[in-house]
Amino acid sequence: MRAITHNKNEAHRHIRLLQLSSSIFATLLFCATFLSAQSPAPEFKLVVTGDVPAPLTLTAADLAAMPRERVEMADPDGGKTTYEGVPLQEILKKAGIPFGRQMRGKDLAGYVIASAKDDYQVLFSLGELDPDLGGVRAIVADKRDGKPLFQYQGPVRLVLPGDKAGARSVRMLEKLEVVKLRK
Amino acid sequence: MLGASLANPRTQQNPDGGEYQWELPKGFPRPKIPADNPMSAAKVQLGRYLFYDQRMSVNGTQSCASCHKQELAFTDGKPRAVGATGELHPRGAMSLVNIAYSGALTWANPTETSLEHQALTPMFSDHPVELGVKGKGEAFIQILHSDPLYREMFAAAFPGESDPFTIANVTKAIACFERTIISARSPYDRYHYDREDSAVSDSAKRGEVLFFSEPLSCFRCHGGFNFSDATDYQGRRGREIQFHNTGLYNVAGPTSYPQPNTGIYEYTKQPGDVGKFKVPTLRNIALTGPYMHDGSAKTLDDVLDHYSAGGRTIASAPNEGNGFHNPNKDPLIRGFKLSTVDRADLIAFLDTLTDDTVIHNLNFSDPRKNRHP
Repeated sequence: MRAITHNKNEAHRHIRLLQLSSSIFATLLFCATFLSAQSPAPEFKLVVTGDVPAPLTLTAADLAAMPRERVEMADPDGGKTTYEGVPLQEILKKAGIPFGRQMRGKDLAGYVIASAKDDYQVLFSLGELDPDLGGVRAIVADKRDGKPLFQYQGPVRLVLPGDKAGARSVRMLEKLEVVKLRK
Repeated sequence: MLGASLANPRTQQNPDGGEYQWELPKGFPRPKIPADNPMSAAKVQLGRYLFYDQRMSVNGTQSCASCHKQELAFTDGKPRAVGATGELHPRGAMSLVNIAYSGALTWANPTETSLEHQALTPMFSDHPVELGVKGKGEAFIQILHSDPLYREMFAAAFPGESDPFTIANVTKAIACFERTIISARSPYDRYHYDREDSAVSDSAKRGEVLFFSEPLSCFRCHGGFNFSDATDYQGRRGREIQFHNTGLYNVAGPTSYPQPNTGIYEYTKQPGDVGKFKVPTLRNIALTGPYMHDGSAKTLDDVLDHYSAGGRTIASAPNEGNGFHNPNKDPLIRGFKLSTVDRADLIAFLDTLTDDTVIHNLNFSDPRKNRHP
């Protein structure tokens, strides 16, 4: 009887441990799911490549640590949607693209192709992005109204608050490729 | 309480009788209202009674609601509408949901932009007969005049008018009612505007990615808050409303689309306009089949077959032809690959646009069966 009782106690301990383990597993799974829904996927990478002095592969954490801005976009209902992220120019500067006084000569025959996960592409000239020249405001956004972007938009997207339509605001942005026509 | 309010967009008049107040949830702008027919609660209520009144047909068998049934998101479930005398309409009845946001009202008439004017077509057209009131307008007005309820309601809806019983006022009231039929809180809206992440499934979220992707590009025509590029509202900026040829047909003969449904070509007579039709809203699309202007696509699967092939091929007469090669086909209709899972995801996404708050909203129901509110 004692042996049976002992075995029963052992069995109960095992069951409790299993329950505890599955509870911890479920909690971890929930946390992982929650985190994946709350912030850009950990595997996310934004590649900055092409004719740049310092090619980059930026993670969500890298973007979070860079200078950030918020822009407000007008909605049809008269409200506003707030996007937050890193100015495109800051990312290009980090890759070694000169803006300001140094943006001259051959650099003005350069452009950047913004490519999305679904192969959508939009081109911007370096001159139009330069704050002293075209001054086009463009944000690589990873938050919408303080929350992660929807799947069809992110993890990151371009937002151009000065554009009249959204066609250049590339969703699901994955790559920025700089091309210089004159070396 | 807030949720209930958001889930049930309501409209009402200010207690002081001032400007009509639209109570629209986040994401939905104010509709454009014609200056000569401002909204009022009294007109909306009158329009609701008229909308469901079968005495508005030649033989007392049909009303507006016969082809625009609430439970089917104000369509009729038929490929092509059938009039009061049994005559078959060449095209299917369009949904009235969010018609207040529609800058083009019918499948193929770019000049029809007034709901008040459009209402005259089902009432008085004789080719085909819809309600069949042509020549009997005065008799219908007399019916309304003899009804004590209508006497009360017309007086309230058109105060100060010595004789409010006119066909023009009938259409104004119906238009006011139709403008209130707004779908704004489907599961998609709760997910998108209210950020209820659990309002739609993971499959639907994957379907949304496909819908908005470059290869499928569904959103380029079915875009914006109303999932249509025929959308209009107060303060809208942007391009003119477009009509599109999707390669549904490519028949031999003078027009690549079978007569009489040649699209806006019927009005413009420009050969390049053959086969161009309005882009309907996708809201409540799961309820509004069969699809396309002539109901020739029975299911959403059929619709996806058409678009994934970049145009529909019909192998046998009388409409034999390969729509992929239609000369007026929109360049966006180029075809795409869709796995079984992709297809299920896309349909799951479209299903999220079904809005129970519209099809069960008592404000839009037959007031003689349900007097609420």
